[in-house]
Amino acid sequence: MSRLLDTMSTGFFRRALLEAVLVGAVAGLVGVHVLLRRLPFFVVTMSHATFPGVVVAGALGVSLVLGGFGAGLVLVAVIVVLDRQRVVADATVTGVVLSGAFAFGVVLASARASGSRDLTAYMVGSVLTVTRGDIVATVVLGALVVLVLAALHKELVFAAFDPQAAQAQGYRPGMLDALVMVAVLVTMSVAIPAVGTLLALALLVVPALTARLFTDRAVPAMVVAASAGAGAGFVGMVVSALWPVAAGAAVALASGGGFLVALVVRGLVDRVGRPAPGRVPA
Amino acid sequence: MLLEPFRQPYLRRALLQVALLGVLGGVVGVHIVLRRLAFLTEAVQHAAFPGIAIAFATGTSLFGGAVAGAAAAVAITIVLSTRPRVDEDAAMAVVIATFVALGVLVVSRRAGFQADLTTQLFGRLSFVTPGQVAQTALVCVACGLGLGAVHKELVLVAFDRAGAEALGYRVARLDAVLYGAVALAVVGAVQVVGAVLVLSFLVAPAATARLLTERVLPMMGVAALVGAVGGWLGLVVATEASLHHDVRLASGATVVLVLTLLFVAAGLVRGVRRLVRRPAGVGA
Amino acid sequence: MTAVPLALRLHDVHAAYDRRPVLEGVHGDLAFGRSLALIGPNGAGKSTLLKAILGLVPVTSGSIEVLGRTPVLARGEVAYVPQIDALDPTFPVSALDVVLMGRYRSIGWLRRPGRADRAIALDALEQVGLSARASTRFGLLSGGQRQRVLLARAIAQRARLLLLDEPFNGVDATSTDAILDVLARLRAEGAAVVLSTHDLSIAHLACDDACLLNRHQVAFGPVPVTLTGERLRETYGDRAVQLVAGSTIVQTD
Repeated sequence: MSRLLDTMSTGFFRRALLEAVLVGAVAGLVGVHVLLRRLPFFVVTMSHATFPGVVVAGALGVSLVLGGFGAGLVLVAVIVVLDRQRVVADATVTGVVLSGAFAFGVVLASARASGSRDLTAYMVGSVLTVTRGDIVATVVLGALVVLVLAALHKELVFAAFDPQAAQAQGYRPGMLDALVMVAVLVTMSVAIPAVGTLLALALLVVPALTARLFTDRAVPAMVVAASAGAGAGFVGMVVSALWPVAAGAAVALASGGGFLVALVVRGLVDRVGRPAPGRVPA
Repeated sequence: MLLEPFRQPYLRRALLQVALLGVLGGVVGVHIVLRRLAFLTEAVQHAAFPGIAIAFATGTSLFGGAVAGAAAAVAITIVLSTRPRVDEDAAMAVVIATFVALGVLVVSRRAGFQADLTTQLFGRLSFVTPGQVAQTALVCVACGLGLGAVHKELVLVAFDRAGAEALGYRVARLDAVLYGAVALAVVGAVQVVGAVLVLSFLVAPAATARLLTERVLPMMGVAALVGAVGGWLGLVVATEASLHHDVRLASGATVVLVLTLLFVAAGLVRGVRRLVRRPAGVGA
Repeated sequence: MTAVPLALRLHDVHAAYDRRPVLEGVHGDLAFGRSLALIGPNGAGKSTLLKAILGLVPVTSGSIEVLGRTPVLARGEVAYVPQIDALDPTFPVSALDVVLMGRYRSIGWLRRPGRADRAIALDALEQVGLSARASTRFGLLSGGQRQRVLLARAIAQRARLLLLDEPFNGVDATSTDAILDVLARLRAEGAAVVLSTHDLSIAHLACDDACLLNRHQVAFGPVPVTLTGERLRETYGDRAVQLVAGSTIVQTD
């Protein structure tokens, strides 16, 4: 315990903890929109698509996060142009093209001498080295994302539920989709220092799914998901302070563990709440 | 220069390996494309990763570890997606996220963590062992026999699921055969090409073939050919760069890049063909 | 422009899906306060025509005028009621949330539904007889109830043209009656209605005009003179059966 307190009192750990909790909260909230639009696969592909941008940025010596963001914007633009229904419905094409983009990044990275370490940090995060600047970026961009999603909440939900009727009313569902995708991209970009692109999925989808087990309404789901994400950030960081394991992975695993616990709790609640006729509890 | 890979024994092995992966892509990849199972493949490939990592850490069989990881992933996905409120996509996203995290966690406990992780994620095609090549060949045969036995039924289910059910087929069992083959193929390839690139090896050749032909069996042939040719070209590029230009390119990723370019080229060819055939006067 | 603006003008409409022609030569008008049934077998192009009126499917030749404008410009005053199967039953929205969606355009961006909007939405739910289910999740309602909720959304939107895709499919008798009542009331208030159906009795009950479709237009005009045995046979082929009494029925699968 004293070791935990020692670690926790250091400045770099407190920064890391703050970053993980903030990222978890924002990603959890954005995740509810990801689930409403059935975009989990998009999040996976996004993590691949941003990769070449990061490597190019590394080679040019500009910010990795900006590089990833740029490449992700290209993906969103392509999806908007090609029509999301077709792109997302056919996971094959998306999968092939984006894995290709990813391989391009790997090839580029392997051609550089110090590739391996940058690559790892980018993919699984390096939360203990977050800077004050990273945290400021997380706060500012996270607040921006939350604000925009809150401002357009009713339109976003409508267009996700019934895109054709929304279009009949004069909305442009494609643009609203693109907005959510950009929100995902921004969130993933700010999450890179904490958990990396490969593990961002654990915060962008899993907490929202956890929330979904308990509520049928979008706004309460956001509150629960943001709490679950922040909780995963906290628990994961504490675990990584106690044992020598990768912090980003611990956060991601805490998120998955939270979902598992929620699943069990939900199952128990269902069993106690309404014993279904014909189904005798064992 | 194009024959360079045939001269070195280790490159010959790599070449044989990519040719076998090409065949595997033809046999299994076509089914993945027909059934739109790309996301499942993605889930399995990530799931094999912690299995291998744990097996590596405990000194047991890597292949066994990969099989265990993949089997666990498929089982969890199926169980999760039977829950109300959790659809299949979301279930697979949870599996991917959690399994990758687990793998990274296990690997991160070891010294030299970054190099290890890189190898496991991206593979080391140039360092493939004779044993691994033999393993891939075995997987090829097993998948070929298993899927070949129920080929027409699988195509029927892919085309018209309800119809197959109406004809009295146990669709769930056919699914299990196919998913099993996908998992086996992923596991067979994952050690060599790494946990994040398997999808391309299996699916890109089949997706390319899908663009070029309209029938299932020719599609399998074309896919195998595309996979083998792409593998060869990729190895040539990687070898050329490292031997003559002193640029180390990750060979597995280079092959995937070539396969992707072939896919894009096939898409362009098809697009041009359709433009040419397009009836006049439509549009506006 | 004509002197009296029409709700819908179809001028020799041809439409194509993915460059394959699916609809040819649809021609006719619909006045405000009247309703039009689109009738034809599966794959006849009913849904395509509805989507073309929404501007979602391109018209390859001819033209569509909606409320005196192009389909795209008329959006907002047109309500679309999709087939209930097209909507995700697990989507986390309540019945009232769905009805409120009809108000979103007039509420505008960045603003939340106010008390007046809620009152309108609740009133619309009342009209379809579902005010007791306002807070139930959409997906937990029966098929007929879901259809009524979607209709309530169209009411709340105060649209001048309603497009309904198979509104009576998989709908129980109570809901069918409720929907027929509401459609009659909306027409009396001056709205125009287009609905696709393969149920001829519904067409007789709910519609003034009918358009018989089977890839091309077989007939377009007032129901009594359009839905004749001869024309139904032309539309449906052998599945149209002449009854002794002189009326015609159509066997569907």
